[in-house]
Amino acid sequence: MNVHPQTAKAAPWPTAPQRPAVAVDPIVLQIVEGTLNSIEAEIEYAIERTARSPMIREAHDYRVGLFDRYCRKLTGRSYSAMPNAVVRDFPPETMRPGDIFLMNDTYLTEGSIGHLPDLCSTVPVFHDGEVVAYIQAFGHHDDIGGRVPGSMPGTARSVFEEGLAVPPVRLYSAGVRNDAVFTIVKRNTRVPEMLAADIDSEVQACVMGARRMAELFARFGKEAVEACFQAILDRCRDIYRNELLPKIADGEYVWEDYVEHDGVSAPRLHKLALKMIKRGGRITLDFTGTDPQSPGPINWPADYAGGAFLIKWIAPILRNLADTPERAAEIHVNEGVCEVFDVVFPPKGTLITPEWPAATNARSFVLLRCLGLLAGVVAQAVEGRIPADQETIRYTGFFGNDRDGKPFLSREVIGGGSGGRYYADGNDAIHIVPDSRNQPAEFTETRFPVLVEKLALATDSGGAGKRRGGLGYDKHYRALVDCRTIVTADRVRLGCYGVNGGKAGAPFCVTIYPGGSRDVASPSPLVGEGRGGGSGGFGTAAPHGSTPTQEGHPLPSPQGGGETSAKARVLGGLVDGEPVAAGEIVAVRTTGGGGWGDPLEREPELVCQDVIEGRVSPPAARDAYGVVLIAGRDADEWQVDAAATAALRDKMRRERGSTDSMIDRGPGYLEMLKEGAAPKGV
Amino acid sequence: MTQADTLPRFRIGIDTGGTFTDIVAVDAGSGAMRVTKVSSTPSNPAIGLVRGVHRILDDMGADVADVAGLAHGTTVATNALLQGRIDGLGLVVTEGFRHILEIARQAVPEGYGNSYFWVKPARIVPLRYVREAGGRLDFRGAELRPLDEDSVRVAARYFRHHGIDAVGVCLMHSYANPTHERRVAEIMAQEYPDCTVSVSCDVLPEYREYERAVTTLVDVFVKPHMARYLQRVDEALGAGLRERPFLVMQSSGGVASADQVVRKPITTALSGPAAGAIGSAVIAKIAGFDNVVTLDAGGTSTDLCLIEGGAPHLTNAGSVGPFPVRIPMIDIETIGTGGGSIAWISREGDLKVGPRSAGAEPGPMCYPNGGAEPTITDANLVLGRIPPSLIGGGIPLDVARSRAGLAALAAKLARPGTPPMSVETLANGIIEIANWSQANRIRQMTIQRGIDPRAFALLSFGGAGPAQSAAVMDLIGMTACIVPPNPGNLSAFGLLAVDWRTDHIVTKVTSEDAADPPAVASLYARLEQEATDTLRRDGIDAARIRVQRQADVRYAGQSMEVRVDAPGGAIDASFLERLAAAFHAAHRQTFGYDYAGQQKVEFVNFCVSGFGLIERPQLPKLDAKAGAPVASSRRPVYFDGTFRDTPIYQRSALAPPARVAGPAIVEEFGSTTAVLPGQYLVVDPHGVLIIRSEKRATQDEATP
Repeated sequence: MNVHPQTAKAAPWPTAPQRPAVAVDPIVLQIVEGTLNSIEAEIEYAIERTARSPMIREAHDYRVGLFDRYCRKLTGRSYSAMPNAVVRDFPPETMRPGDIFLMNDTYLTEGSIGHLPDLCSTVPVFHDGEVVAYIQAFGHHDDIGGRVPGSMPGTARSVFEEGLAVPPVRLYSAGVRNDAVFTIVKRNTRVPEMLAADIDSEVQACVMGARRMAELFARFGKEAVEACFQAILDRCRDIYRNELLPKIADGEYVWEDYVEHDGVSAPRLHKLALKMIKRGGRITLDFTGTDPQSPGPINWPADYAGGAFLIKWIAPILRNLADTPERAAEIHVNEGVCEVFDVVFPPKGTLITPEWPAATNARSFVLLRCLGLLAGVVAQAVEGRIPADQETIRYTGFFGNDRDGKPFLSREVIGGGSGGRYYADGNDAIHIVPDSRNQPAEFTETRFPVLVEKLALATDSGGAGKRRGGLGYDKHYRALVDCRTIVTADRVRLGCYGVNGGKAGAPFCVTIYPGGSRDVASPSPLVGEGRGGGSGGFGTAAPHGSTPTQEGHPLPSPQGGGETSAKARVLGGLVDGEPVAAGEIVAVRTTGGGGWGDPLEREPELVCQDVIEGRVSPPAARDAYGVVLIAGRDADEWQVDAAATAALRDKMRRERGSTDSMIDRGPGYLEMLKEGAAPKGV
Repeated sequence: MTQADTLPRFRIGIDTGGTFTDIVAVDAGSGAMRVTKVSSTPSNPAIGLVRGVHRILDDMGADVADVAGLAHGTTVATNALLQGRIDGLGLVVTEGFRHILEIARQAVPEGYGNSYFWVKPARIVPLRYVREAGGRLDFRGAELRPLDEDSVRVAARYFRHHGIDAVGVCLMHSYANPTHERRVAEIMAQEYPDCTVSVSCDVLPEYREYERAVTTLVDVFVKPHMARYLQRVDEALGAGLRERPFLVMQSSGGVASADQVVRKPITTALSGPAAGAIGSAVIAKIAGFDNVVTLDAGGTSTDLCLIEGGAPHLTNAGSVGPFPVRIPMIDIETIGTGGGSIAWISREGDLKVGPRSAGAEPGPMCYPNGGAEPTITDANLVLGRIPPSLIGGGIPLDVARSRAGLAALAAKLARPGTPPMSVETLANGIIEIANWSQANRIRQMTIQRGIDPRAFALLSFGGAGPAQSAAVMDLIGMTACIVPPNPGNLSAFGLLAVDWRTDHIVTKVTSEDAADPPAVASLYARLEQEATDTLRRDGIDAARIRVQRQADVRYAGQSMEVRVDAPGGAIDASFLERLAAAFHAAHRQTFGYDYAGQQKVEFVNFCVSGFGLIERPQLPKLDAKAGAPVASSRRPVYFDGTFRDTPIYQRSALAPPARVAGPAIVEEFGSTTAVLPGQYLVVDPHGVLIIRSEKRATQDEATP
């Protein structure tokens, strides 16, 4: 690991010795590893059961970490925070049994906490009077104060709008609760009881985990257990070194990707730049060239602790180089991976090296884009044997007063399609957070004054490819009262990129359609329609909005009659309370995944199947895939015209000339460049 | 001759497993019990079933006239779901919802970033066989748009044209108003009478359209399998037995008549394991334990189940294989280790135990024609923990082969230049790894359900359980380890110990403020009538029928409900208050807090369970025998790093109130129990073995 040059100095936490004191016992190793994974799961179950806020209990937005005394993460099913900042401010020799620490300050937690709602508890584990490990949990809490309920002000320009920042402090001192901390925290949130209960839940779960970890040390002894820790870390390092890295040819590879919105400026390309240098068993990730920090809240303070958090966050992308997806799923990424990567950060003042007090609450746009940034650079180094791009997180919702005049607020995170892979099409409508679920329509309708008129996959949203990108949602909500809609989304103009000849997926799009007649006696005018939406980066692209509202496509004729002259309104990615009249339909089309490989090589039978199933429209089958279909008796009976397909594909190949581009960003990219929306120098 | 002698006396339980069919008969008069085993006949399980019934009747010198009734645990539904190819299914959904199965709940299985490489498995119905029906209800059941009957006819003809002969129907909000779904079923019957149809308002009248759709599809898929099977059973039973009541175990832990099961076969998805859980609960209670974790270790996997307050935990958020099945089921968790789990070396050079398994075929290395890799059973054999022969001495086991396999594994595991570990050290290590893994899973399962496992006992059965579970008990610090009599026949025994049961539910989201007692009363009255009618149709005497009201309740704004018992008696304002109070209490019990007095609650589902009470079999008491029990033999058994000369007891020779200090081995037909050093075993009056750790017993005595 390497820190950026200007801050390179000895880390303020202990460094692990080169060799553990004793050789590892293969039996104890299995027991220790199995028990570490179990402790992690036990803590998660305990939190899920006892926490109160819906973000934790229902959206599963919380993470647990187990660390050795050198602050190295031992488990690898997920990312987590890090105890480094606690150890920096409270050296282990000053810790006492019963101490528990709390923190959330994004600039004082060594890069481990990205936004303020993520309050993090740390419990040291003692054995024979010394600290031997740490247990940590953080959850995304519903509110930590600041300018808006939920503490996620999309237009924040500084941390002071985002809520209470807590540097590492003792929450419990030798088992005695520090009431001052609770008093301050509770005074600074809109949900004091719920937040205090959440913290209690996380603390108690960590204390239970610490007891279990201490039992492991008591049973097998410190030397034996620490030898196991080292072996677990070494194994991860060696899998990367010996199994994954050899798939990447030595050399330098460059790529960049963008975030479109920062909440406070007009949409433009906020660049994240990455140069990957691969030499033997090491990889250097150099982010030099990344755009300056934004005035809005998309900044991600990542340049701490040698980039340890960033490495553990994006390195799992390389699991996609494993021989099979089953093997990829077996590879758990722990701190051992940090021995394989060096990070070079740009100087202070960029999107990933922001300076306090730059706002950070929406840093997930940058954080998530970094996954695709690494995948895109790796794609060039492995001849495209990496999945195409995905974007699966965004918020949509409604607020207003229901028919009884009571206020309501609905918020839902709905996913998108994942990218095509060389071995499979992308997945339709999924979410990157494990076990994060969508709302059943029957729940939505019971709770909020909306009617879900359509819950479908967006036809043609998946990027065209030999292996097609997964489809995004095409979900239509009919407002039953006058209300307002909110949207927080990126990838509104740039689709998820395609790889190795595959095309970009359709971008995100929200459109408001007049509902026809004002009651609900007729179905959505869009149900049964040719299932619109963008085509996979090809032909009739989805409507793009460069401003939050603009006049868009005219309304398709409603089946039940009604006003046909009204216009549809296309909204952008950050919508903060657009009015929706009762009867109007809000159509949310989420991103399709990028395609993988040349669409002209997709088996014509698969294209035919896609058309039969409504995933691809007949025109797109012809225009994007070069497949000519013959309609059958029923509307969805189609057959491939093999001769016509071969002829059309030959013609398309001749006309397009060479296709040496590894990555396709879709038409939105060129449009933004043309509009001069990109920063100078691109 | 007294009248009692002329009445049929025997109730017979038949549990069909993959390898053996277990049969238990109980004499209703004396309580005497008899058990036997026959080979299962997987191609037509009815043959094994009937063979078993005749075998046990022969054993007792009885004939079919003596049979009072049969109760059956079957894996027909489970096997159809998990092993069969699922095809030929169709689905009818509300217009606009054709992609409901493709989208599902958008969830990717565990592991951050797995969304990049995970491949979504094929859906239970291919998209082309999902058809839309026009028409729409709102969440109150009010009709927004009438059913478009033409679209249903088109769908019916489409299915017929494509040979799709089992169709599920799941329309939006059908739980609130079934008329559209019922009309779809009528049209299907007119247009395509040969098609099997299940409608979601019958299978699961509960909100959440995706889960309801899948549950309905699983039901309609299993229907023809179950109908065919029960037809074969009926034929095989023949005159004399066919006329007797034939009950089938449901996943909920109650039995129902074959007629009921054919109508809604999804209720039998976990028939077999449910019987085991019920049998465990009965035995545990007899032995004086209300709170136990059951551990049923077979050849390839181990089932865990929680029994709290004498009753198995139920869940209505379960699944069978990959399919969410949202009907009440015994809450069972399966771990991928059993006696046949293989010890192997991963590509990183690490020792692993399971989930790969040698199963029953080829089986452990020590078996005749056994496998090529050492298993947990081989490790137990090498250490002397199990006898050197199978099934009461009939089949000798090849210890030398197990040793050779373990020695080869030890050599592969050794680092270059260092000597391999001994066969015994490795064998002991394999068992330790398996025990820790089971202990960890028990901890996870209990914590997930808000329970501290240290306050529970462990009840162990199945062929591969009792040899190791006393060690698992100590790892967790549980109160005791219980080994029931005839641990191989616990499921069949459980079949005779359960009441008839029928569950009825309806979703009607009602806030506490707006709840109208007469409306709630009429809902419950309807459900109670349905439950009672169902039981009466099965011929249950009114005097034996009990109904239990329940409700799923949540705080307004949450999406997780807690199921609570509702008071009986008149339904008035006080009823609703008491129901809300029961929810606050249950919420505190489950999650550690409540919002009583702060937040309003919502009643979501109203449920009624109907029970037809049966006579429970009595486990007979054994004759007490004074004096120390006598070991049948001694052999060296490996404990704590060395072979110790260890007494071997035959279970049949252990009479109450025997107390045996560990180390000791207890052998019986089909199972072996190991008592470790530092533990002791007592035989309770019914012959149940109870193992405790000396240390824990001393602690418990010290803290009243």
